[in-house]
Amino acid sequence: MADQRSEHERCDTIPRLLAYNARHYADRPAYREKEYGIWQSWTWAEAEDEINALALGLVTLGVEPGDHIAVLGRNRPFFYWAMIAAQSNGAIPVPVYQDSVADEIAYVLDHCGASLVFAEDQEQVDKIMDVKDQLPGLKSIIFIDSRGMRKYERTHLHDYRDIQKAGRAASAAQKKLLDKRRAQQSGSDSCAMLYTSGTTGRPKGVVLSNDNIIKTSAASCAFDNLQQSDSVLAYLPMAWVGDFIFSMGQALWSGFCVCCPESTQTMQHDLKEIGPSYFFAPPRYFEGVLTSVMIRMEDAGRVKRKLFAYFMAHAREVGGALLDGQRVALSDRLIYQLGRLFIYGPLLNSLGMSNIRVGYTAGEAIGPEIFNFYRSLGINLKQLYGQTEASVFITQQPDGEVRADTVGVPSPGVELHIDDKGEVFYRSAGVFVEYYKNPKSTKETKDKDGWVATGDAGFIEKDSGHLRIIDRAKDVGKMKDGRLFAPKYVENKLKFFPSILEAVLFGSGRDKCTAFINIDLQAVGNWAERNNIAYSSYQELAGHAQVYQMITEHINEVNIALANDEMLSGCQIHRFLILHKELDADDGELTRTRKVRRRVIEDKFKDLIDALYGGATEIFTKTEVTYEDGSKGSISATLQIADADVQPTPSGKGEAA
Amino acid sequence: MSADFYFGVEVFLNGLMAGVMYSLVALGFVLIFKASGIFNYAQGIMALFAALTLVGFQEGQVPFSHLINAVFGTEIHHFGWHLHAFFAIILALGVMVLFAWLVEKLILQHLVNQEPIILFMATIGLAYFMEGFGDLMWGSNVKKLDIGIPQGGNFWIEEKTAFLGGEDFYGFYLDTLDIYATVIAGLLVAGLVVFSQYTRTGRALRAVADDHQAALSVGISLRAIWVIVWGIAGFVALVAGIMWGSKSGVQFSLSLIALKALPVLMLGGFTSIPGAIVGGLIIGVGEKMFEFLIGAPLLGGATENWFAYVLALVFLVFRPQGLFGEKIIERV
Amino acid sequence: MTAQQPQSYVTSDGRTIGPPVMEMQNITLRFGGVVAIQDISFDIREGEIRAIIGPNGAGKSSMLNVINGFYHPQEGRILYKGGERKPMKPYQIAHQGIARTFQNIALFKGMTTLDNIMTGRLTHMKTSMLSQAVWWGRAEKEEVENRELVEKIIDFLEIQSIRKTPVGRLPYGLQKRVELGRALAAEPSLLLLDEPMAGMNVEEKEDMSRFILDVNDEFGTTIALIEHDMGVVMDLADRVVVMDYGKKIGDGTPDEVRGNQDVIDAYLGVAHD
Repeated sequence: MADQRSEHERCDTIPRLLAYNARHYADRPAYREKEYGIWQSWTWAEAEDEINALALGLVTLGVEPGDHIAVLGRNRPFFYWAMIAAQSNGAIPVPVYQDSVADEIAYVLDHCGASLVFAEDQEQVDKIMDVKDQLPGLKSIIFIDSRGMRKYERTHLHDYRDIQKAGRAASAAQKKLLDKRRAQQSGSDSCAMLYTSGTTGRPKGVVLSNDNIIKTSAASCAFDNLQQSDSVLAYLPMAWVGDFIFSMGQALWSGFCVCCPESTQTMQHDLKEIGPSYFFAPPRYFEGVLTSVMIRMEDAGRVKRKLFAYFMAHAREVGGALLDGQRVALSDRLIYQLGRLFIYGPLLNSLGMSNIRVGYTAGEAIGPEIFNFYRSLGINLKQLYGQTEASVFITQQPDGEVRADTVGVPSPGVELHIDDKGEVFYRSAGVFVEYYKNPKSTKETKDKDGWVATGDAGFIEKDSGHLRIIDRAKDVGKMKDGRLFAPKYVENKLKFFPSILEAVLFGSGRDKCTAFINIDLQAVGNWAERNNIAYSSYQELAGHAQVYQMITEHINEVNIALANDEMLSGCQIHRFLILHKELDADDGELTRTRKVRRRVIEDKFKDLIDALYGGATEIFTKTEVTYEDGSKGSISATLQIADADVQPTPSGKGEAA
Repeated sequence: MSADFYFGVEVFLNGLMAGVMYSLVALGFVLIFKASGIFNYAQGIMALFAALTLVGFQEGQVPFSHLINAVFGTEIHHFGWHLHAFFAIILALGVMVLFAWLVEKLILQHLVNQEPIILFMATIGLAYFMEGFGDLMWGSNVKKLDIGIPQGGNFWIEEKTAFLGGEDFYGFYLDTLDIYATVIAGLLVAGLVVFSQYTRTGRALRAVADDHQAALSVGISLRAIWVIVWGIAGFVALVAGIMWGSKSGVQFSLSLIALKALPVLMLGGFTSIPGAIVGGLIIGVGEKMFEFLIGAPLLGGATENWFAYVLALVFLVFRPQGLFGEKIIERV
Repeated sequence: MTAQQPQSYVTSDGRTIGPPVMEMQNITLRFGGVVAIQDISFDIREGEIRAIIGPNGAGKSSMLNVINGFYHPQEGRILYKGGERKPMKPYQIAHQGIARTFQNIALFKGMTTLDNIMTGRLTHMKTSMLSQAVWWGRAEKEEVENRELVEKIIDFLEIQSIRKTPVGRLPYGLQKRVELGRALAAEPSLLLLDEPMAGMNVEEKEDMSRFILDVNDEFGTTIALIEHDMGVVMDLADRVVVMDYGKKIGDGTPDEVRGNQDVIDAYLGVAHD
């Protein structure tokens, strides 16, 4: 055992891990893919054989160490093999987002100087063909799906299987060359290059070494005790660092099985069939699934609906505590078990989440309601915070310390520090080597001691040691007295209430914060119906005294939560108003992706903001609107301005209203 | 628990078993209705005819002996041998398949694309023809059908369950024949479902039931399918005939079980196999429990004769398409 | 008549077009006194995509039904696979290796996509009722083999996600695709498509065009399609027959047909005498 351990630890490149797994887990499943309606599977020994054949095939094609080899397609075992075959030759795999348009692909392929591309099918090959003239370095294209490829000129175009065939027929000298290439590699060699999607400017190629990937994978596997017996569904883009860590790094380190769905549309169904034990999805996935469950329950029969409501309420009460191993009364345990039998079990099964032992979400804030829904069902859903530049893991939540509003403690081997502007910095074994061909950006992001700037503002909770992310660092401002002003953080907190559709917080450079609120017509409308509140228009509902009262309660709740955060206590909302119209992209108040345009709103509703900071209790206003047909008009209304309860803060700067 | 409770349970179990028998008959209707849109009035007679044929083969009866004797002045009735039940069943099944083929050849083929009412009338004619033909072939006397299934109360169950109740409870009284019938019917239904889901012919049957034009375009011969369906319906009729015949003898009243199938169909829908099964069980349990709880103590008994129809009627008002039937949506 | 074309030739994109699979010779079809088709002759060659186009009421559907064997013409001969074809019963057509789709989609609405496409295999399945009844030996093997082929078709048409969905619940475009799948499952020597693009939006038309081309290219399936949308047909077909008022007014490659004055007149609606 000890021998095996140290042998494992000596594996410092991906090809060495493959050889290790093929030796120790020869007959255990390594890859699965659903094709032609059944799950095809490959053991580690079979995978090694396929990969070796392909790697030798690449030798015959003239691939050299240091070449960049792009991979363009959806998650398939063949692509993971292609990446390992490339690494076996000392070449660097560059997975590319499969839905990229030809221009984006041209940029990436040109930037990394790819000599070879693995493309899934005719569609992807066509995209490359469109831009081939701009890519002098590109020597060959290898496709997997031969459909429709018969007519193409074959000089530079090869079938994946033909390359493997050539590899199997390779000469002794070629085999020797491959062995030599493998033997010469070390942990400091590049393992992969991943392009960050880059919200601004051109994407940057993040170079990650074998050490980056393998050390991070080893640490994170130990953190969650990921074993050979685990399995994961590989469905997120291969070009994303998360998939690279989960389906390459961790899978090869632990030897667990990577399962690929049949197609993008069948993911949900395949998830159900596979029932993975390790699962990652972005918050919007969990949100979407929850919504569809709720819609299905609305349509269900009365008995079923009642049962669901009862047991879900019970789960909300005790499910999270049970998951965290806290003490729960025996009767509650029994009811929970009943619920598992009738509701939770079948529900989880239909969602494909029955076997999840470790589940993660990350990328953006997840609503506490959504987060707790899954946890109460017994899914160990946790949050992590990561970046491509960190080989994913910066912080993550340990079992038993899971909360919706933090992103966890520093991952093993990660150091954190927060600078005086609130920006989060980290240093770890996973820190990237460099941005490819971009020393300027590398220098801006990573200092000489290895500290990397995340670009996010956050703080570490005193008692728990958990990191909390507030906003992008550049979006966080200062109030007049120097306290932190984090509008998006507060607005997100408000938007987690179903009755609040949009919120806009003001307070930058001022002495206190105020807010505009947009109610959610559907949620508040339903609420009004249940409470016999009559209204004839959005405007009337928005101005209703009871609606104001409800929103005031929500804001008070948010203020209490904010007061508990030392850094954010200044962001408590003193006064607010409910807008008479929905903020609309047609009126330029929101972007098309529904992000608030702060500047536009500040100009357009200047009178309202002045009133919020003045003493008035109501204000008359007239606003120009654009109708759906493009014509303009205006609506006018008298808006009330309400006060909220503000909590005193430790520093005593807050004031009771 | 009081003994009354256990009597109630016993009645319930008996109701379930009776229900299975109803389901069996209803199944024959559903099969034919689904595949060809024909309401087969002759289904009950088919069960009688199948049972008569079976007994005839078993007893070594000479078919049409009455006719032969009258014409030729002979006195023959039996060949003088007895056939083992198994071979008699195989032969009877063969006759039912031959019958299905003849029905298609002589009747259905000439009535393609006719109104459903015409087809229905044809099956009424068929029913009366078969009634007479059966009598002519095998004689009209009441016959005893025994294929070796034990009858009478099942002592084993009675003994094993006696401990449940108090002094005046002697265990559940269940007829062994009913238990056999339930098991056989269950197997038959399961077999039919598997057959229709997972075999080529089963798929063709479902295809024809779904859309005739499409079925033709993939090369399914409607006539072949009709023979198969009537053959299967004949097989189901044979099983039903055996069970009912073993219980109360083979005589004309056996054909009246078809009347019991009607309320089952109204409940379950004419196009649904699960509907026929669930419908049968509801009617079986419903009428026995109603008699036990309300009929006998309050209404003077004998409610079993009409309860099923009243239940079906009430049901029709609220859900005319039946429990599992396809929803009827009239576009205005 | 015209100069004989070579027995077989290779198209510019590398497909092999063989000798005629079907030859229609002087076909005339009447319904009572109405002449639906008047003395039309043309052929369909192995491996080609042959289109029959014409304005509404030109007799295209009647022609398809003649090819299909649903209608028996009063005059003329039909040669199929070299021999003269006798009148057939509707269900026998499929057994002759002719599969078709319908303008108004004739699928088994209550059955799943998989079951629908499996019915396309019926003409290739031979096991007896009895061995099926006990799901035994050959019956099981046959079922599995056919399922494999059907799964290849499902993969080809990219309909994996609706494999187990009853087709009645699918949107129109997907139903059309399932129907194509069912016809393909029969591995037909001649595939007839009755207005495959009818009622589709632009994107669905593009998808369907790609599938038709891919079917022809990958499996070498001979395809005859009728369509009134000229634009689509011109991109798809190797050769086009143009019909108007029951008569053939043009026959040739898309380019030849496009330049034909009669065809232009028919489509621009020049008054007939």
